[in-house]
Amino acid sequence: MRHCTRQALSLLFLAGATAPAMAQVTGTVKFTGAAPANPKIDMAEEATCKAKYTTGPTDPVVVVNKGGLGGVFVYVKSGLPAGKAAAATTPVVIDQNGCLYHPRILGVQTGQPIEIRNSDAVLHNIKAVPKKNRGFNISQPTAGMKSTRTFPVAEMAIPFSCNVHGWMKASVFVMDNPYFAVADENGAFSIKGLPAGTYTLEAWHEKFGTKTATVTIPASGAATATFTFAAS
Amino acid sequence: MTRPDGRMGGWADGPARLWAVAVLAIALSAHPPVRLAAQDVQAGKVVYDKWCAECHGETGAGDGSAAKWMLPPPRDFTRATYQIRTTASGELPTDADIMNVVDNGMPGTAMPGWSGKLSAVERRNVVAYVKSLSTFFEGAAPQAIALGKDPGGGAEAIAEGRQVFEKLECFKCHGQTGRGDGQSSPTLKDDWDFPIRAADLTQGWLFTGGNSVQQIYTRMRTGLDGTPMPSFSDAVDAGVLTDEQLWKVAHYVRSLSPERPPQVRDVIRAFLLAGGVPAGPADTTWTGVERFWVPLVGQIVIKPRWFIPSVTGVWVQAVHNGQELAVRFSWTDRSQSPERAWDEWLGRVVQGHEMSDAPVPDRQGPDRLWVQFPKQVSDEAERPFFLGGTTRRPVYLWRWTSAPDAVEEGSGTGFGQFAAASGDVEVTHGARYDAGEWQVQFTRALVPGDSAVAPVFAAGEPIPIAFFAADGSNGETETRGAVSAWYAIYLDVPTPPGVYVAPVVAVLLTAGLALMVVWRAQKQSRT
Amino acid sequence: MFIALVGILIYVSENEERWSEFKQPIRATLVDPDKKWVRTTFLVALPLFVGYTTFQQTRPRIVAPIQLRSIHPAPPGSITFRGKTINLTGLENPLRTTGSMEEHLKVGRRVYYQNCLPCHGDRIDGQGHFGHGFNPTPLAFETGTIGMLTESFVFWRIAKGGPGLPREGTPWNSAMPVWEDFLTEEEIWSVVIFLYEQSGLQPRRWEAEPASGGEHD
Repeated sequence: MRHCTRQALSLLFLAGATAPAMAQVTGTVKFTGAAPANPKIDMAEEATCKAKYTTGPTDPVVVVNKGGLGGVFVYVKSGLPAGKAAAATTPVVIDQNGCLYHPRILGVQTGQPIEIRNSDAVLHNIKAVPKKNRGFNISQPTAGMKSTRTFPVAEMAIPFSCNVHGWMKASVFVMDNPYFAVADENGAFSIKGLPAGTYTLEAWHEKFGTKTATVTIPASGAATATFTFAAS
Repeated sequence: MTRPDGRMGGWADGPARLWAVAVLAIALSAHPPVRLAAQDVQAGKVVYDKWCAECHGETGAGDGSAAKWMLPPPRDFTRATYQIRTTASGELPTDADIMNVVDNGMPGTAMPGWSGKLSAVERRNVVAYVKSLSTFFEGAAPQAIALGKDPGGGAEAIAEGRQVFEKLECFKCHGQTGRGDGQSSPTLKDDWDFPIRAADLTQGWLFTGGNSVQQIYTRMRTGLDGTPMPSFSDAVDAGVLTDEQLWKVAHYVRSLSPERPPQVRDVIRAFLLAGGVPAGPADTTWTGVERFWVPLVGQIVIKPRWFIPSVTGVWVQAVHNGQELAVRFSWTDRSQSPERAWDEWLGRVVQGHEMSDAPVPDRQGPDRLWVQFPKQVSDEAERPFFLGGTTRRPVYLWRWTSAPDAVEEGSGTGFGQFAAASGDVEVTHGARYDAGEWQVQFTRALVPGDSAVAPVFAAGEPIPIAFFAADGSNGETETRGAVSAWYAIYLDVPTPPGVYVAPVVAVLLTAGLALMVVWRAQKQSRT
Repeated sequence: MFIALVGILIYVSENEERWSEFKQPIRATLVDPDKKWVRTTFLVALPLFVGYTTFQQTRPRIVAPIQLRSIHPAPPGSITFRGKTINLTGLENPLRTTGSMEEHLKVGRRVYYQNCLPCHGDRIDGQGHFGHGFNPTPLAFETGTIGMLTESFVFWRIAKGGPGLPREGTPWNSAMPVWEDFLTEEEIWSVVIFLYEQSGLQPRRWEAEPASGGEHD
């Protein structure tokens, strides 16, 4: 296919993608076996955060409800033409509350503003250590502070951490297109707007690694995909 | 310039203008702006391969053969993450930023300054080469951030700086006295997961970026990329604090270190006191006693060696009253070993570093301080071997450990070879840990009960003395730690009266003579 | 300065006229009523100055005991290296005539950076990050010292370290490790090659034959 034809097709595709569409992939990330216990966090030295918990806080690495695994990042690994989607301008919020990042897994588009908020009345620093983008390390000493950053280059699982509270961790995924989702606490996810076609989806979990699934979206628009992770 | 017709020429005249242009051209070429051209990279590689590669690695990944023997390890240039910059957090450094570190090195690390060793051209070329090791620099033009103006220092500024230091919660890493013993200090790591310490603000001469107020302020503005130290520029922009307040924090931090880096003196003076020696390290008598800095460096002489010591030096104070000698030591130690919270730190040390000669114990030991004297203090110039003595010439040791808090007294016949003295221990001690600092005092009679065990401390002559310190939570042991050379301790004697008599006599004699000369001259002129 | 002073006095006392001329301002200072303040100042300042100087001489001074040290002690004729006897007289660096210099340099560089750098420094100037902690401070290689030494001398110093020094070298103060405990013979010869290469100096060579009747310098 000639290059300019391909470019035109991509443009058409992206134009179509930005239009509201009924096409979507819904699904569940299942989890079989007994969920391992999450590590306890000793917040004895940060009373302000500890006070926000009724039961001793744990690090929510593994979130399993009703047989579903939460906090899984699902995205289209292949099947999409190359190129960047139109920039998204709505900021995506990541909040520090109770000395934990909310959400722990975050997906944004390249160039999309990430608004980092501090809801704790304690000093946090937010350190991002990407490989393909430039990182940052900013201090937010008070509650109510907001800082905004963007990443221009697509990159998987950029770690965010706080050095004052060494247990805090988040993973930020920067994608060139809007076709991604984070599974909720029951493992449910949905990716909207994908045009008809065959795609490989990948599901990424911080502890259990990755699983792929192929999905074909018919002309009528809806398809489902399931991933299953097992306890080790 | 006088013209042939006698008139004086002006500056706008032809030849003068030419001269001005020539001078300007010469001046500019002598100090050209730091501009780097493509061909510099190749010349820079030659310099890099000869002087830099063995630490920083062939590809600049910080993985040279020496890397695992250093903490902090050599910079990984491939990520273009630089600590000391004038640009915003996460930004690339300017060329001048990189040149600054190449020229001046980084105090407290193995990175030396090259300005005395390599020519300016060589250094510019190596900067160009170092940049080429990361694709981030391609097409980039990093800009220095705008910095505010220093509102000035003084006691008030420092006091306000302290308040802001508390409001910003800097103590969470840096500790209440700035020694780097804050609650999160055991978990600190850099971008490569190597263990990293929050700077000891009382040892400003070891700041990697310099210790002036301006330099400290700039670090807080830009953050130290690659380390846990964040940038506070966003907080200033958000109105959490003003730029002036940030300057005042810098003034406060500067005030925690001495005015000048401590001068190392060969002789430690034990001052003569009337009355009893201080009861313990917290005794207020010590605040008036001059302190002497003794630097300590890694024990890299005898197996098993230790290349990454935690203790950089000790402050020594000493007094005596003719009967007893009291010596007090204070030094920064971020943990009271063994301390469970620091297990994570020790794990990182074991993982990240090459442990020469023997594996590092995976359990923390106690903190240690040893004070060493020759077992026989004699007039001879020859002394016991400075590292623990030998069988032929043993040393007399006071060995303090933090857990249990105790002192052993006895002889050393080699490094790591110690025989505790049987019978009563002559030396007593007191130890106190306060916000990142150990304070330990040893007290002993000048004339010991059993001089076979312990040498007599005679006043009025220098007695050789040496030191060893170990930080248990850093994996240090009784042979792995930081050592010093032989110094000397001198117990003051009361000043003999003759010292004052002679000058007075000299004054009187000279005055008398001078008066006689004047009187004679005046008498002569009258006659 | 004293000689200059004597010279001046000889000159001014050459004849009566010049001598009285010279003495004139001195006499004026001593005698003239209008120079009373000058006189008084001298009368006060001079004795005080003498008193101060005397005090500086008599007050107790605390000086560290002097440790005289021979920087280039005479090497022994032979040493043992891990039990093997090595004759140092006439010994040149065997690696210069075997193997590849590039390889030797590579090994020597690695050995230096892993073992020697903390004291002797990245700039090979004795100012490594631990250098300041020892007394005497580590040797600086770039000053030219090793250019005056044979490689066998350097080998001896490295292999036997501080404890291998004779008494006049103050071995009890030396932080130089006994490298035969850590390195092989080949590694030591390699690092010797590295030192000369990095400093740009040439080692002193043994003469092929002693000069007839002459001294071996």
